[in-house]
Amino acid sequence: MKLKSTRRRAIQKGAPLLFVLLPLLFIILSIFIGRYPISAQMVIDTVWSKITGNPVAVPDIAQAVVWDIRLPRAILGAMVGGALAVSGASLQGLFHNPLVDSGILGVSSGAGFGAALGIILFDNVVMIYVLSFAFSLLAVMLSYMIGRIYSTVPNIMLVLGGVIVSSIFSALISFLKYVADPYDQLPTIVFWLMGSLANADYREISISLLPIAVGTLGLFALRWRINVLSLGDKEARSLGLNIRLYKMAVVIFTTLATAGAVSVSGIIGWIGLVIPHIGRMIVGNDNRYLIPASMSIGACFLILIDNAGRMLTGSELPLSILTALVGGPFYVYLLKRTKGGGW
Amino acid sequence: MHVIEIQHLSFAYPQLDALQDVSLHMDQGEVLCLVGPNGCGKTTLLDHLIGAHSMQKGQIFFEGKDLRKMRTKELSKKIGYVPQSRRNTFPYQVLDFVLMGRTPYTGVFASPNENDMQIALDALDQIGIISFQDRIFTQLSGGERQLVILARALAQKTPLLLMDEPTAHLDFAHEMMILETIVKMIKTQNLSVMMATHFPNHAFYLQSNGVPTRVAMMKQGRILQIGQPDEVLTVPNIEQVFGVNSQILSIQNGQAGGLKTIVPTKTTNKKERMMICDKIG
Repeated sequence: MKLKSTRRRAIQKGAPLLFVLLPLLFIILSIFIGRYPISAQMVIDTVWSKITGNPVAVPDIAQAVVWDIRLPRAILGAMVGGALAVSGASLQGLFHNPLVDSGILGVSSGAGFGAALGIILFDNVVMIYVLSFAFSLLAVMLSYMIGRIYSTVPNIMLVLGGVIVSSIFSALISFLKYVADPYDQLPTIVFWLMGSLANADYREISISLLPIAVGTLGLFALRWRINVLSLGDKEARSLGLNIRLYKMAVVIFTTLATAGAVSVSGIIGWIGLVIPHIGRMIVGNDNRYLIPASMSIGACFLILIDNAGRMLTGSELPLSILTALVGGPFYVYLLKRTKGGGW
Repeated sequence: MHVIEIQHLSFAYPQLDALQDVSLHMDQGEVLCLVGPNGCGKTTLLDHLIGAHSMQKGQIFFEGKDLRKMRTKELSKKIGYVPQSRRNTFPYQVLDFVLMGRTPYTGVFASPNENDMQIALDALDQIGIISFQDRIFTQLSGGERQLVILARALAQKTPLLLMDEPTAHLDFAHEMMILETIVKMIKTQNLSVMMATHFPNHAFYLQSNGVPTRVAMMKQGRILQIGQPDEVLTVPNIEQVFGVNSQILSIQNGQAGGLKTIVPTKTTNKKERMMICDKIG
């Protein structure tokens, strides 16, 4: 007799298509939204002329706003949001701990320090990105070296390493704030630490594309193995996984994705923690579905937040403020609805 | 050829000799019960067989092949591991949890396919818990979780299973259910099982149900005796290993030879007794 699985997984069956279409929809919608008044017809004409190459009767400035400001900003938002969410989901699996987020190994504070250093020393945007990226990699390397005792890397040591490295870099950030020029550099540092997509351009996309793509694709490919890793070292090993290798792979991929994101967007809190949980409540805990779901929801969420941030008030609101203000209550609502989903 | 042959295995933690000159072997279709008090080295011995420790001294052969030369993946197709019933994991669906038993057979970047799904369903069916498949692993009772873990081990399709106190923390009914399932698995799949247990009576139970059973009594990292349950689980041996006075009763349960059972009566540890007396005095 052939046994049949009875699982009810309609949402997972139709999911792959939805996960791709939803962020695309959000990107398209967000090029219609902005404070500069451009009619929907003008937006459509602009996009059409860019695709076909035919000139249209839309003012140059409106074309530039749509094509060179709104579009890259939405694309970068999708990349950054997806990268942070997928890193958070993967690290939660690796550490079998739902309280972990994408910054647990010190990526964010390393990036913050690098950016602050770049702001003080160079006053050149690309140098800020480069230093930020370099120091976030350095921070994770330090965490990993602290966590490596014997020949294995116990999770608790790795987390401890991350906490230590994070607090050291936080102290260094404070030091840089203290010595920074209070009228010029200090506000830039503070603003950067709260996250923003205001700099978004095709240059930012091309800089962060490679690390984000390598990181998220790597995690996507390993998503089944992350399930097995989440059982703990001993069981995962007895199921045939080379623990050290896979742990290192997950750490490297999450670090690349997160570092690629925060180096161009600044530190954006909450996404790496909350989005994976929203994903868990929708598709369950199986990382085969959770990883793509987190990518997709993270991308949509950040586009949404960024649109809100530039529309709500006269000046732009930093993203971390909004992610917490929107994400927190929404998260509580979901927790109450699903009663935590088995925790 | 022996399924497992361990020769002169010794292992020391920085402050503790966990295993001292352990030698034993196991044959296909038999159960070896490791019996001994807490901290006697049972778990350390099992951990060596899943490659969780780098070997310090001695040798282990699986079907004649040096364990040190086997890769983790190759090993996991030969030796399955059944941990104690546990909860600290994500709320996976039971079927997804059992599917993880197919990890050794999936490629690095691959996920289990339809065939793996079928094997996982068959494993659930063999244990008799096919109706659990959509339930959430963390919401099951301890005994139910242990059955699911056994199903995962079946899905892994290994000739040898290691069990680390598979009935720890379970109630009477689930303890029996697990033992019955183990008997059934051994008989239908011709499995070999190495089982660490705190309950010497399990060895008698397995033997009386027609499973070829041997017992290795361990104390302080050494194997004191190894052999048939009747020969090894004797009143003097139990006193020596556990420091417990006991009687061995024989119960007629319908099986040939009946079912023997050890009834502990009191501890023999003089120091402990004196301390208790002091408190009373």
